[in-house]
This record gives sequence, structure tokens and C-alpha cells, in this order.
Amino acid sequence: MNTVIQAFGLVFQPDVMIAIVASAFYGLTVGALPGLSATMATALLVPVTFYLSPIAAIATIITASAMAIFSGDIPGCLLRIPGTPASAAYTDEAYAMTRKGEAETALGICLWFSALGGIAGTLSLMLIAPLLAEMALSFSTYENFWLAMLGLMCSTLVARSSPIKAIAAMLLGLLITCIGIDNPGGVPRFTFGSTDLLGGIEVIPALVGVFALAEVMRSLTEREPPKLENRRLGSILKGQWELTKKYPKQQARGNLIGIIIGVLPGAGADMAAWVSYAMAKRFSKTPEKFGTGHPEGLIEAGASNNASLASGWVPALLFGIPGDTITAIAIGVLYMKGLNPGPTLFSSQASSMYALYIIFIIGNIIMIPLGIIMIRLASKVVGAPRSAVMPVIMIFCAVGAFATAGNNLFAVYCVAIFGLIGFVMEKNGYPVAAMVLGIVMGTMVEQSFVTSLIKSDGSILPFFSRPVSSVLAAMTFGALLWPVFVWTMRRLRTERPATA
Amino acid sequence: MSKISRRSVLAGAAAAGATGLIVRPAIGQAQYPSRPMTMICPWGAGGGTDATARIVAQLLEKDLGQPVNVVNRTGGSGVVGHQAIASAPADGYTIGMLTVEIAMMRHQGLTELKSTDYAALGLMNEDPPGVQVSASGPYKDIKELAAAIKAAPPGKLKASGTGQGGIWHLALVGWLVAMGLKPDHVAWVPSNGAAPGMQDLAAGGVDIVTCSVPEARAMIDAGKAKSLAIMASARNPQFKDVPTLNESLGINYSVGAWRGIGAPKAVPADIQAKLTASLKKAFDSKEYQDFMNSRGFGMKFADGPGFAKFMADSDTSMASAMKAAGLSKA
Amino acid sequence: MLLSDRVTGGVIATLGATAFFYGSKLPPVPGQQVGPSAFPMVVGAGLVLCGVMIVLGVGRHFEEVAEADVVSHSTPEELEPLPAWRNWLALLPPALLIFYALVSEKLGFLPTAAIMVLTASLAFGARPKLAVPLAIIAPFVINLIFLKLLRVPLPGGLLPFPW
Repeated sequence: MNTVIQAFGLVFQPDVMIAIVASAFYGLTVGALPGLSATMATALLVPVTFYLSPIAAIATIITASAMAIFSGDIPGCLLRIPGTPASAAYTDEAYAMTRKGEAETALGICLWFSALGGIAGTLSLMLIAPLLAEMALSFSTYENFWLAMLGLMCSTLVARSSPIKAIAAMLLGLLITCIGIDNPGGVPRFTFGSTDLLGGIEVIPALVGVFALAEVMRSLTEREPPKLENRRLGSILKGQWELTKKYPKQQARGNLIGIIIGVLPGAGADMAAWVSYAMAKRFSKTPEKFGTGHPEGLIEAGASNNASLASGWVPALLFGIPGDTITAIAIGVLYMKGLNPGPTLFSSQASSMYALYIIFIIGNIIMIPLGIIMIRLASKVVGAPRSAVMPVIMIFCAVGAFATAGNNLFAVYCVAIFGLIGFVMEKNGYPVAAMVLGIVMGTMVEQSFVTSLIKSDGSILPFFSRPVSSVLAAMTFGALLWPVFVWTMRRLRTERPATA
Repeated sequence: MSKISRRSVLAGAAAAGATGLIVRPAIGQAQYPSRPMTMICPWGAGGGTDATARIVAQLLEKDLGQPVNVVNRTGGSGVVGHQAIASAPADGYTIGMLTVEIAMMRHQGLTELKSTDYAALGLMNEDPPGVQVSASGPYKDIKELAAAIKAAPPGKLKASGTGQGGIWHLALVGWLVAMGLKPDHVAWVPSNGAAPGMQDLAAGGVDIVTCSVPEARAMIDAGKAKSLAIMASARNPQFKDVPTLNESLGINYSVGAWRGIGAPKAVPADIQAKLTASLKKAFDSKEYQDFMNSRGFGMKFADGPGFAKFMADSDTSMASAMKAAGLSKA
Repeated sequence: MLLSDRVTGGVIATLGATAFFYGSKLPPVPGQQVGPSAFPMVVGAGLVLCGVMIVLGVGRHFEEVAEADVVSHSTPEELEPLPAWRNWLALLPPALLIFYALVSEKLGFLPTAAIMVLTASLAFGARPKLAVPLAIIAPFVINLIFLKLLRVPLPGGLLPFPW
């Protein structure tokens, strides 16, 4: 108990409080700008943390990353442009709600369930960290392979389109990850002698291109839609409590999936959102409503990505293994501040650990009022004329991608090309989210498959014989065969009246 | 570009620390640096190289009185970032972190770039590879492991720690060759860096990880792994209990991952001298020493010419090691 | 840009075949059972399969349901066809980005972005009264955010940022 009181003492210091509030606004701003990811927001904080006390330094990282993941939902809801990759899975759904005149409900869901998810993730971190860490450690490349495959299978579920086109788009994403030498063999592929192509195509420029720039392009070819947002947004939190009571299962599942995916090394908030959205649709009683502005998927995925953020700290704190890119940066800061990751951290520096939990909880609570402020500010943007908003977004596309790629102009070319690809795909019924999923997961699929075979001396048996592996394999094949099954059923149903 | 006398450089160097951010140079180019600088890091945010680049940038900023912004130009196993440093404008406002890969990738046929394409400014760090095994495994010390490797059929044991042909792969190969074995006697499992390799070690997927000891530290502290030896000429004071290969096996093989600061080749000599002086100051600072100690990173400094020679030596030894390993294209 | 499924399916199948062929030429890596050629070949084969199925119209049914849904949620004005030339206007944003990539280092961020904002804003039908001030203020504010908040230096060129 003494350590807990000590921990509160560590957190409730003026410098820590200022660090939390300042980094919260910073995270909200960066997350809401298209093309600037939560990872970038965190990386840019590293030099700042040099000057801060250890607790304040960790507080900035925790708060900024949580805020950025939530605030990536805002431009998704209002403009159909995801602010961070973690929002890409359910951008269409959120925007459909906005088009139906339910912008405040959509934003409210994102905010409310993000905060709840974050708190659930923190509880998992506090209560079952050692257990979760053991689970994460038992994941070898075999399990990672199935996990990646399962992630890819989500592509057919996230989109309202032909499953064949969804798979084609996903495969296109996988083909894009082949570019470069960051493959298990270290062999240059599809580089055509270019140094920039040697480095491969990053997720961010592709994402910015297919979502943000393509949206600018699309709006140029379309009439200005009738104004929806001339009125002031109503209460953001109104009705959230009812939704919480109405969809407890979705919420619990979102939190759980987020926690599990967050713990696993190499899979972060992006994947958590995708899997959760697909799960929500798969197990929904009304899957046909998905994509038309239905809250179920939003609740599950919005909770999931924030839950994964907190649980990603489990392997980071216990073993120094990053659960995702954000915790990779956090590990560096932990070392710098003398809080070396390892189980001893929990015993020798218990008060610091409790302080960390407290910061997580505070961060997720203040997310609600600060998030509301941010939503109110952002909704002004939607009220502005399209001819003023879209050109500025276009500049952000260019500069955001340029900055995340380390001031490389190649990223700007990538955005332009992916804008064209995304525009053409969208017009012809190919879901661009599926392609982004392929780009996110591609390297993991190949890496885990090739290294697994090296380890097993070429035998594919361990992919099915290891206990966790076999369960994941069964799930993958289930997801693979599901659309085929549905399609056959539909065919039978439509053909029967014709023959009868 | 800018003409600066040696005296004004010395005066500038002395004044820069004192004046800090407040005083702006009155006559544009007369006093370098007069505007913000960029430091290119060829590796991603969050890693050891990035952390080192950021602390060095921080200290340079303090000394030179101008912001030094770190940009992560990643990808292509470091080729992209190294290329960007070499082809940046040679005005002294773009510098970058050079890593051991510059001595390696040319021999893999990935690029034409070589260490002499840069103006060497200062070596900042060197980390030797270690030999890590699972804590629950059968090997008590490096002698037992060496015997087990020799006894095992080729390809039976697996090792990991970085990508195919990366520095830690080369370390393993060099060690195997020094023991009189074939370079592929222990199969290499490529991984995306040391952390996933260490995780696979704990999960039982691989038998050996040859990353540096600081990279393995968290897993060792967690009781999941242990370090049997380091491939260096002397023990690391941070990890006193880990013997060198030489003292335990009598094999004098050492190869290290190093990091230093470089600039485009054509940067004027006086600017180079000023940057080297500033780097030396940064290296000697308490902040740098504390930071490197907290991460367990090895510290090694060399000034411009010293670093250039160091890189040339590294290039030669890497060339022969990679040739022996069959990783070389040339 | 609305192409028939035959065209897009054909493009995908061709791309897949090219990837398969290119992949098959990649050298093996010693010590790896599955070399760098396998992944592009599998993905390429998958693309060929998908492409052929799309050409044959498999799975078209799902799209019809989705399209009917979009129509039912849109207002009649939105569905009215626009003149054909508006479609070509879509090429403007990528063209402006390529313009940025080509000239921003020489010209500097502020002038380049100003030209881009002005052009795009006018293309969206803004009056000069809105477009001109926007083209002056927006690049300045963006530069401020990146330089001060994110510490990302943007190209200075002819007109560097004043502070």
C-alpha cells in the first residue's frame, strides 16, 4: 500500500501534470493530421524527454500515444480520411454515420470506447502482466505466421465488396511489400536499380495516398455534398451510456482482442482494429448493416486499438520486447531514464510501476474532456468550404509523408502514385483498406514463414502440430472458407426458384 | 562555400557554448552554423542507433547553438540513409550517422557507396557481439557450447539476431570459421533485429543469438537468457562477468558494430574541424557518458582522420569475413 | 475512371503474371529452403487467379448489393452525372504533388505550397477572394507546425521561413 501512496506522490507533481496535459494536446493534434502517425508523435517526443524527470518522460510517451490513436478517428469520421493507420479499418463506417447526420454519435463512440478500451488495457497490464508476458513469449514464428494470415483474412470481411476483389486488393498490397531488400533473404526485389525502391514502400505514404489524396481527388470530381454540419454538433457523449449497455459483448470482445494483439510482438493497434472490426461483422446479428453507419463495428474496433496500446507495454516492461513501434521507442526512453525493463522493475521500482499505471488511467480519463475540445475544434473544419479544406489537406499529404520518411521526396512521389491507384481502385469496387492491410502484414507473413521453415529444416509439420499454432490454423482456414460457403449458399438460394 | 579562418573557427567554437541559442550570427555565412542543421539516421526510431543519434544531436545543438534535427531515413538495410548522407549538399548543414553497414553493403553488391565517400567526423561508439543462449538450455559456458557446436551435424543448431548477411550473422560466421568449421555449420535464422531474435531464443525457436550484450540485456535480466562470451579484445566494464572469446577459447576473433558521425565528402575542412571538436566535446560530456552507460553501449572515440582509418580497416576486415562466409558478391 | 471488370481483372492478371515471372528469376539464398522467389510467385499466382475470376464476373453479386445500398443513402442531386471533363480534374492533386517533389527544394516550401493551394483551391471553384489569402496563410501555418511543433525542417529555397 505504501508503494501506491508513493506512486501517487510521484505522479501528482507539477512537472508530471504539465507534461501530461501538454503531451495530450500535442498527441491530439498530431494524431488528427492525416499522414502523421502515433508512432511519429512519440518519436518526436524523445528529445524532449531528455529534459524531463523519469516519470514525466514516461508520462509524455503514454499520454501522447493514447491521444494520437484516438484522435486519428476524428478526420476519419468527418472527412473519410484516417488520421493514423489504426483508424483505417473503420473509417468508411464512421464516415457513413456522419453522412447520416450522426456525426456526434460516431465521434462519441470513438472517444468513449477508446477511453474505456484504454482503461481495460491498463487493467490487464496491472493485473495479469506476467501471465500475458508468458503467453507472448511462447509465440514463435509459427504462431506469428498464422496470426498474420488471420489478419489478411480480415480483408474479405472489412469491405462491402466482392470478396474476390477484396482478396485481389490484399494481394496487391502483399506484392507491394515485396519491393526492396527488407526480406528474409536480403535480396533486392523489384528495385530496378533504384536506391529508394531498395528501401521499399512504407505504409504511411501508401496510406496517405489511397485514403487522403484519393479523397481530395474524388471530391474534385463530385458535387459539393449538401451541408450536414451547418448546425453545431450536439452533445458528444449523449447516448454513449445506452450504447455501452446495448453492446456489452462487442465491447468486451474488442477489449480482449486488443489486449491479446497488443501483447504479441510485431502486431499493434492497426491490426487490433482490423481484426476487431472483422470479428464484429462476422458475429453480428445484422452484418448487412455494416458499412452503412452502424455503431457495432465502431465500438468493437475503437475499443480494441486503444486497449492494445496499453497491453503492448507488457512485453516491453517485462522483457524489453516491443509490442509495437510505439513501445519500441518507449523502451529506449525507459533505459535512458534508468528504468531498465525486466521483471526486477516490478519489484525494485514498484512505485515507478504504479506511477505508470496511474498515468495510463489519468491519460484515458482526461482523454474525454480534451477529446471533446478537439472534436469541437475539428468540426469547424468541416463547416468550412470544401475549396479551403481540401487544398490544405493536400499539402498535409505531401509534407506529412515527407516528414515520416525522413525528409525523403520519394515519399511524395509515392503519395501521388498511391493516390491514383486508390482513386481508380475505389471507383471500380476494389476496397483500398484491404490493400493497406496487405502492406501492413506482408513482411510479417513472409518473414515468419521463411524463418519457420529454416528452423524446422523444411518441415511444415510444426505449423499444425504446436498447440497454439493448430488452433490459429483452424481459425485461418475457417475464415478462408467462409466467403466461399456464403457464396455457394446464395447461389443455391437464388437458383432454386429459377429451376422450380 | 563559406570562407572561415581558423581563428574565427576557434573563437566560434569557444563562443558557441557560451552564447547558446540567444545570440544569432549577424553576418549570415560568416559564422557557421547560422541556421538549423539536419542529422540523418539510417535506422528507425526507437532503436539503439536512433537513440545514439538523438543524444549526439542534442549535445551538438547545445554546443553549436543551432537546432540539430534528427531525421530517420530508413530502409534497405541502411542503404537509403547512407546514400542520403553522401548525396546531401556539402555545406555542413547536413550530417549523418554512419554505421558498420557502410563497410559491408558494398561487398554484398547492394550499392557503390563506400566509407571514403564521406568526410569522417568522429567515431562515437562500438559494440562487440556476444554469444547468448537460453537460460534453461544445457550450455553452462562457452566451452560447452563450442563443443556442442562441433559435435552437432551441420545445420542442426540455429542462430539469430539480425537479417541475412547482417553484422551479427557475420560475427557468427567469423567465429565458426575461427573454430575451423564451415560458415553454415550453424544455420542462420534471419530476424528483424536483435529483440525478435532474443524473443525466439526465449521461445525455444533458436539456440544461439549473437547480438551485442546490451541488446540482450533485458532478457538476461528477466532470467530468460544468459551471455556466455563477447567477441572482443577486452571485457565490457558494464558486464564484467562475461568473458571474452580469447580468454575462454583462445580464439582471437573480434568484430564490432560501430557508429560514427560523417558528412558529405566535399564539406570544407574548417567546418569538418569544428564539427569534430564539437563531437569530441559531446563524447566527453557527462550526459553522453551517462546515457551510454545507462544503455550499456560501448564508448569509443576517434577524430576525423582516426575515424577514416578505422572505417578503412573495418572495410578490409569485413570484406575478408564476408568472402569467407560466402556472403560477398564481389 | 470507371473501367469494366474485364479491364481491371485483366490488368490484375497481367500484373500477377509479371510478378510471377520476375519472382521466378530471383536467385536462391544458401541455407533458406524457401528463397526470395517464393513469395512474389505465390502472390503473383494469386493475382492471376483473382484477375481471371474478376474477368469472369465471379462475386459480382456482392457489389450489386453494396451499390444499391449506396444509391439508397444518397440524395438525388449527388447522383446527377457531372460533365465528363470533371473526371480528368482528379489528376490535378497527384500532378501538384509531383510538382512539389520536383521544385520544392529549389523554390522552397512556402512558394511551392502557395502555388499548390492556389491552384487546387481555384479548381474547387473558390473565388480569388478566398483562394489568395488561403494560399498565403496556410503554407505559413503548416511550416510553423512542422518546424516548431514537430521539428521537421522543410526546404527553405528562395524564401526561407522567417524564424
